[in-house]
Amino acid sequence: MSAQGDCEFLVKRARELVPQDPYAAKAWLITARTLYPTDFNIQYEMYSIERNAERTSSAGRLLYDIFVNFPDQPVVWREISAITAALRNDSQDKHAQFLKGVFETLPGQVQCKMLLKATEQCFNTLEKAEMLLLLLKRFPESVVQHGVSLGESLLEAESVEDLETPVNCFRKLFVCDVLPLILNNPEMCLPVSLLYKYLHKAAEFYICYVTREPSADGQMQGSQEVGGLNSPGRGRGQRSVIDGLSDKASVVTEPWDRLLEMVGVVGSLCDWQGEKGSRSYAELLQRVSDLCRFLSAADADGFSRCCSQIVSCCTLVLFHCAFHYVSAVQPSLFQGHSSLSSGPWVLLEDLSSVYADVEVERKHTHKKRKLADGREKTMSSDDEDVLAKGRGRHIVVSKSEMLNWAETLDHFRTARESWDLLHSHPSLEAEFAKICSAWKTEMWLWFRIFLTDMIIYQGQYRKALSSLALMSSLQLQQNQNQNQNSLQTGSSSSLENHRAVIQQASCHYALGEYRLACEKLLEAVGGLLPQNQEFVKSSDEQRKPRSKTRRGNDLRLVPCTSKSILPFCLQLMLACFKLRAFTDNRDDLALGHVIVLLQFDWPQGESLFLKAVDKICQQGSFQYENFFNYVTNIDMLEEFAYLRTTEGGRVQLELLPNQGMLIKHHTVTRGITKGVKEDFRLAMERQVSRCGENLLMVLHRFCINEKIILIQSLP
Amino acid sequence: MSDIRHALLRRDPLSAAKEVLYHLDISLGSALQSSAGPPAGLEKSTVELVEEFIFHVSKDRNIQSKRMSCVQELQLLEIICSYFQEQSKDAIRQVIFSALFSLQGNKADESRMAMLGKLVSMSIAVCRVPILECAAIWLQRTHSAWCVRLAQVLMEDYCTLVPCAISTLQNICSASPRFCCQLITAVTALYDFSTDELTPPPALLEMLVGWITEDPRLLLLTFINSPLNSSLPLGCLEITPLLGLLRWCVKAPLAYHRGRKSAMTNGHGDGEKGTAYEELYSKLHLSVLQVFLMLQVHLTEKNMFCRLTVLPVESVAALIEEVGRLCEKLAPLLDASHIQLALDRLAQALQVAMATGALLCAREDLRALCSRLPHNNLLQLVMSGPVVQPPPHSSPFQPNMYPHIHPGRPSPLSPHSPHQSTLSSPHSPHTVLTAHPTHPALAPHRPLTAHATHPALSPHAFHPASIAFPYRPIR
Repeated sequence: MSAQGDCEFLVKRARELVPQDPYAAKAWLITARTLYPTDFNIQYEMYSIERNAERTSSAGRLLYDIFVNFPDQPVVWREISAITAALRNDSQDKHAQFLKGVFETLPGQVQCKMLLKATEQCFNTLEKAEMLLLLLKRFPESVVQHGVSLGESLLEAESVEDLETPVNCFRKLFVCDVLPLILNNPEMCLPVSLLYKYLHKAAEFYICYVTREPSADGQMQGSQEVGGLNSPGRGRGQRSVIDGLSDKASVVTEPWDRLLEMVGVVGSLCDWQGEKGSRSYAELLQRVSDLCRFLSAADADGFSRCCSQIVSCCTLVLFHCAFHYVSAVQPSLFQGHSSLSSGPWVLLEDLSSVYADVEVERKHTHKKRKLADGREKTMSSDDEDVLAKGRGRHIVVSKSEMLNWAETLDHFRTARESWDLLHSHPSLEAEFAKICSAWKTEMWLWFRIFLTDMIIYQGQYRKALSSLALMSSLQLQQNQNQNQNSLQTGSSSSLENHRAVIQQASCHYALGEYRLACEKLLEAVGGLLPQNQEFVKSSDEQRKPRSKTRRGNDLRLVPCTSKSILPFCLQLMLACFKLRAFTDNRDDLALGHVIVLLQFDWPQGESLFLKAVDKICQQGSFQYENFFNYVTNIDMLEEFAYLRTTEGGRVQLELLPNQGMLIKHHTVTRGITKGVKEDFRLAMERQVSRCGENLLMVLHRFCINEKIILIQSLP
Repeated sequence: MSDIRHALLRRDPLSAAKEVLYHLDISLGSALQSSAGPPAGLEKSTVELVEEFIFHVSKDRNIQSKRMSCVQELQLLEIICSYFQEQSKDAIRQVIFSALFSLQGNKADESRMAMLGKLVSMSIAVCRVPILECAAIWLQRTHSAWCVRLAQVLMEDYCTLVPCAISTLQNICSASPRFCCQLITAVTALYDFSTDELTPPPALLEMLVGWITEDPRLLLLTFINSPLNSSLPLGCLEITPLLGLLRWCVKAPLAYHRGRKSAMTNGHGDGEKGTAYEELYSKLHLSVLQVFLMLQVHLTEKNMFCRLTVLPVESVAALIEEVGRLCEKLAPLLDASHIQLALDRLAQALQVAMATGALLCAREDLRALCSRLPHNNLLQLVMSGPVVQPPPHSSPFQPNMYPHIHPGRPSPLSPHSPHQSTLSSPHSPHTVLTAHPTHPALAPHRPLTAHATHPALSPHAFHPASIAFPYRPIR
């Protein structure tokens, strides 16, 4: 008999006995172990029996033995890797729970050794990291030795894998798991530069996590395969999954709060001036702006010392507030926002004064145009005058439609303030630019949306137009991605496209480029669906007369819906044609367009209409062949019917198509003029019967059918 | 003293007995306090008083002592019970108990035993821990024949007469584990499978297995609490119930034929019940082996490993001989598998007992002892010992004196070299135990690592160590 033969015999007997008499099987193995204490198979069989019966403590005890005595047995490694996998997983599977229990029964130092050894055997960075993390979480004293190297290996893995987004498994582990351990370990002593580097890595992750696109995971899928770790729930329809991590591990709760917490910790580690752990982002900004005021620009030394602190804090506040603003203005951009709650909103010029007296308006607009022209020539984006004008502009929001309007405007303001602070000094600007280029913020569509609105707010419309162009290219890219993943329906994206086009129109108008403004506008109107008139009465706020100081300076945040946009378009066109119509030169076509447009929101435009009538009376004649196609307002029809009478001044009205030609042609014969009169009367009668028609339908048709004439009639 | 006797004679039996108890308390109590140690022996007169007035056996044949009525006897038991309950001093309780119930080798002993049986039985029923503790010590110091008699009385009361009374006994284990430990030893001495009556009642077996699986240390309680070097009085019970239980486990399969026969004649107890008992014995046997492992930890801790015998070789030899005889006798009646099971258990117990230092016996001696037993593979293996190359030069029953084999072996491919450092040296075998104190039971195999395997015999172990470790996590 050989020793091996003995052992095989003993194990075989035990194995045979397991089903019928497990006690006897164990008795055999105990005996066998006293005979051959160094035989692996005997002890492994003992462990197997306990494991299969899921007896936690005895299995743990035996595992301890075989781990200590047979550290090189592949079978032991398979067992340990099953256990560490169970530890890493959040699976509620009964066997996984048992394996976790087994691990818990082991003495601390053995757990530590086991995890370290398991880590050594691991060739996959992610698994290795997760394993080390288990170790670091359990044994804080090991953080000093392994913490930073683990963090660096994760960052390295991220760059080696060349992942396109910072929202990846390596960064997630680094930011959410490793970094807190490192930062909160009092034994750690990290150089300040490293702390900033880590803070920026964390900030980039959290910001990109919060602002990830709805289809972000679709893009990531397949880019890297980290097998074996994902829960079976990972499927095509699953969102918010970071590739390589399970669904549960992919969720980062309260990212902004966590980031703020981390700023507090890093701040205290870096001995930041005046930083006592801010409770909010607004407070954070307050602290650094106080600090900036305290440091005179001349104090170069102090400035360079605090530069990183100021830029880090300001940058975070900027992105935090910009995100909140954009998530109110265009929620569908982000995952987790139900696009049903509200559609996009768009920041536009406030045109509520369009019905006001033309004289005041004209002067003002002339001045505005001059300014815009001047800017064009100098190509200066930092026009002092414009900036001064930009300050203190009022933004009108329909409070009933945007419930969190106050916060949204607050975030918009705080974000602008952070931006201004970041650009208040060249060294701050340079530092901020470095962060932006590292994070590739120029590719962030959502941030571009904020920037555009900020530039509009600042009154730099030329710059805003180029920003809008950038935005549409980013949007195009995103739409392509979305179409690839076919996750997005067309309708909302077309509304988002309109958003940019309408904003462009608004900018062109503000620059005095009426033709371009109308062109853009009519492009957008084509895609709008007119609603029932009743719902489209402009709101009270819109009607409220503004105080004179603010007139023409205000902005309006409008929901990007047909219901809200069509009125804006009509007002904008009115504003464009109004000036032309009331110049000293006769322009019947412009005047006619104005009359058609004045029908909307009647009787808001009554005074302007009367002004138009005065002008017609002065001219003694008026030619507008589209009149009967688009004017259905009974007051207007009455007024025009009156104008033809003797009391009205016998004004020559050529309102029927080709009427002018007919009159010229038939002046010789008397009877024909009579026929013309008859035509007019019939047309009027027919028109009165059209009074009940949906005005918005009529005006929408006007915009679409007369698009070419409308554009051509503007210089 | 005779004054006291005269005074007592005038009293009624109950008050006289009470008076004697009172007298004992005064005289022994003060003796205990005054002298350095307890009095070596009782005065003859005191013994006589106890015998005359408590057990009602007078040395004076002329005087027919007054017998107590049953009610009076019950009252007396109650008085004794409450006396022990109220006496707070452990030492006095023990002295009084031995004054009352130490056997004197005279005709009063029968009365003593009768009274003791009733007292202990009653104490179990009403859970009088002080008396049970004293009884435990009595069971340690008294000749096994008397102990067996006490056990018999208790078994009659709690197993035979009222079958469901066993649960009362069952609960005693947590109250007085020492008593239970001794009781187990006594019942294993009582039931020797020689007849139906002397086969352990199933209820008893079930209770014992329950006790032991709940806390196997119970079996070592008396052993651990006794001074290590004290020699037992001649003829006493074994210091642990281990050998007794072992005897049960080994002999149980050999008694199956009888169990089956009786089951058939009784009409109850079908095959299923039989397997339930088989399982209980299997469980019990495993517990015994596990307790051997615990014992090794204890011995090593006390530095008594291989210096103290727990299973006397003579008793083991007697068991082996008995098993041999039974096998011979029953071979034609019994299924071979039963004999093999008995031999398997015997072999396992011998091996584990030797390895854990519970049995100090050389394998050569073992071979001689087992020579008459029928063939059994495991027994063969145990008798020849583990295969070791080169053969061990030291005697195999001193496992912690084994030299390490690895260093001397000229084998560069040795699979064990990486973890050799983890093998504890023979002089400090407890590194593992201190690291993991919660599992003392399973640790003791560590010091035995001296039984090394041999590279030539375990070729599968070669590859992982010599080649680069091929392990990769499983996907």
